[in-house]
Amino acid sequence: MAATEDRKTASGWGLIALAACALPGVMPATAQAEEAPEQGVVALKYSSYEDHQPGLKRLSVKSPSAYLMTPIGREWSVEGSVTHDDVSGASPRYYTDVTGASRMHDDRKAGDLRLTRYFERSTLSVGASHSDEHDYVSNALSLAGTVASEDHNTTWNWGVGAAHDRINPVNDLVDNETRRTTEWLLGITQALTPQDIVQANLTLTRGRGYFSDPYKLFDARPRQRNATIALVRWNHWWSDLGMATKLSYRFYDDSFGIRSHTLELAADKHLSDTLVLTPSLRYYTQRAASFYYDPVSDPNVYPAPYGTPTYSSTDQRMSAFGALGLGLKLAWQFEPDWTLDVKGEQYEQRSNWRLGGHGSPGVDPLTATQWQLGLARRF
Amino acid sequence: MASPCRIRLAGVADEAQAQALAQAAVDEVRRIEQRYSRYRSDSIVSRINAAAGSGRPVPVDAETAHLLDFADLLYRQSEGRFDLSSGVLRQAWDFKAARVPSETELARCRECIGWDRVVWTGEAIALPRAGMEIDFGGIGKEYAVDRAATLLLEAGVRSGLINLGGDLRVLGPHPDGRPWRLGVAHPRAPGAVALEWAVHDGALATSGDYERYFEQDGRRYCHILDPRTGWPVSHWQSVTVAAPSCLAAGALSTLAMLAGPQAPAFLQSQGVAYAALDPRGELVAPGLEPST
Repeated sequence: MAATEDRKTASGWGLIALAACALPGVMPATAQAEEAPEQGVVALKYSSYEDHQPGLKRLSVKSPSAYLMTPIGREWSVEGSVTHDDVSGASPRYYTDVTGASRMHDDRKAGDLRLTRYFERSTLSVGASHSDEHDYVSNALSLAGTVASEDHNTTWNWGVGAAHDRINPVNDLVDNETRRTTEWLLGITQALTPQDIVQANLTLTRGRGYFSDPYKLFDARPRQRNATIALVRWNHWWSDLGMATKLSYRFYDDSFGIRSHTLELAADKHLSDTLVLTPSLRYYTQRAASFYYDPVSDPNVYPAPYGTPTYSSTDQRMSAFGALGLGLKLAWQFEPDWTLDVKGEQYEQRSNWRLGGHGSPGVDPLTATQWQLGLARRF
Repeated sequence: MASPCRIRLAGVADEAQAQALAQAAVDEVRRIEQRYSRYRSDSIVSRINAAAGSGRPVPVDAETAHLLDFADLLYRQSEGRFDLSSGVLRQAWDFKAARVPSETELARCRECIGWDRVVWTGEAIALPRAGMEIDFGGIGKEYAVDRAATLLLEAGVRSGLINLGGDLRVLGPHPDGRPWRLGVAHPRAPGAVALEWAVHDGALATSGDYERYFEQDGRRYCHILDPRTGWPVSHWQSVTVAAPSCLAAGALSTLAMLAGPQAPAFLQSQGVAYAALDPRGELVAPGLEPST
């Protein structure tokens, strides 16, 4: 004789189970109240990031992190994470040139906490985060929520957030500078069929304060940066192939003059009952900031910008470029509650990969490699 | 429902109120039984079957349309193993007489089977051939369990159990939070329990080769028939599936019996917990720990 406990798989029902539950009258509307997750998760991750430009190993970041999410009764959940980044290497002073003085080493400690209350058909959560480097301290608060339709096929989500950063560069270029950012988000998620979910989000951000990079030459940026970000996603489950595909497009436009497009495709393929392989491909293209200026062709001079413009920057991230990212993740559920995952991503950024226009000339390509190892346990 | 049915309610303070709630649930079960019974000439099923071969589509109400859509999905997802039109096979299989039909008899039945030939528009249904019939036997009882459960849950009941002939749905744990301990009948030892399952909420349904069967020349012939061949399934002794709704659990346990050795992979792909007894009576229940 065997005794068994009912195992609850709040997500991951197959098509037939979902279709049966979607029939009118099979599940009560009131029993579909938004409930706190039934299981907690604790996860440890170690990630390693390195970027390179031709002939030079630039930045290297090693980050161990821990994450915990636990339900509190049926109506509350709390989640939090802590991360420690060990950053070392060289960041360019000027375009992609590195001088001896720009060698750096930094420790970043960051943590966040989020508390969520689940109501019938809606959720409300409040979050706080803190990040600390020796020259940069950031604090943020956020409030977010979701409201689902009666049939749970449509979910609205909204959020507001505010961040306050304090900047004290070691070169004393500025002292006790600050930056404040506020953010508003509105989104909708719609289940179109049992196999298709689409989502659209619109985010507006408004930043005021110090945006320049104190460690770069000729870097003076406006003291305000407003951005509009639109994101659409489409997830489709291919029952014949046992595979889910996730397609997303992100549009970004800001008052610095940067406009970018990101297209990403990822697939979750079940190799067996316990192994899931997730390949992903990402393409990114951006227009340069209006105050970014191209290097002159004579490599023997270090020219300042023409004239004395109010704003200028030689930051590679402000230039016009395109980028490709290729990732592969393998997750192995080696026990019912334990999952081990390993993930690798290769990224390359080049001026001439920009779509619909020329990229910024004279900037070295940048490549980056990221590895991540994670272990998670449900409880 | 031609089987013992039981509704247990707990945590309802007033007995008269409990009686009224239970009666409402029983009424709902009877309504569904009458509506989808092929033994009643005024049921929608009898009207559809009576029009078979006439070329005349029979319009259906929204509730029936949802069930036909679901049956259509089961047909497509099971590659024809679940077929609403396969009930005619009972004309060939006589389990009381314990008689194995001839291949000619089965071939004649198979001519009247084929959901892919049924014209289903989403609003009206036409059976193309005289003698064809549909039968909600595979999903009707499970749907009745869910409808009765929904009615009680929407009336505020949070503890109890609905059991229609072994297909059951838990409304919520005992008022003190303990789960309901449900026994699954042993397929080879009448009256014995093969396993116990502790359920807080959701549904359990079991399909097995022991409800209607006979044995001949050392072979067991059970009532779960593969519509593609007309022959009984012969792998699992029983399959019990836990799912959020009884309709899902019942459909998945039947499809698992029909899937044979592929059942574990199929059930895992559906994200449900299950316990099956294999041909030798060994328990296959990944993730569920046996105890004495």
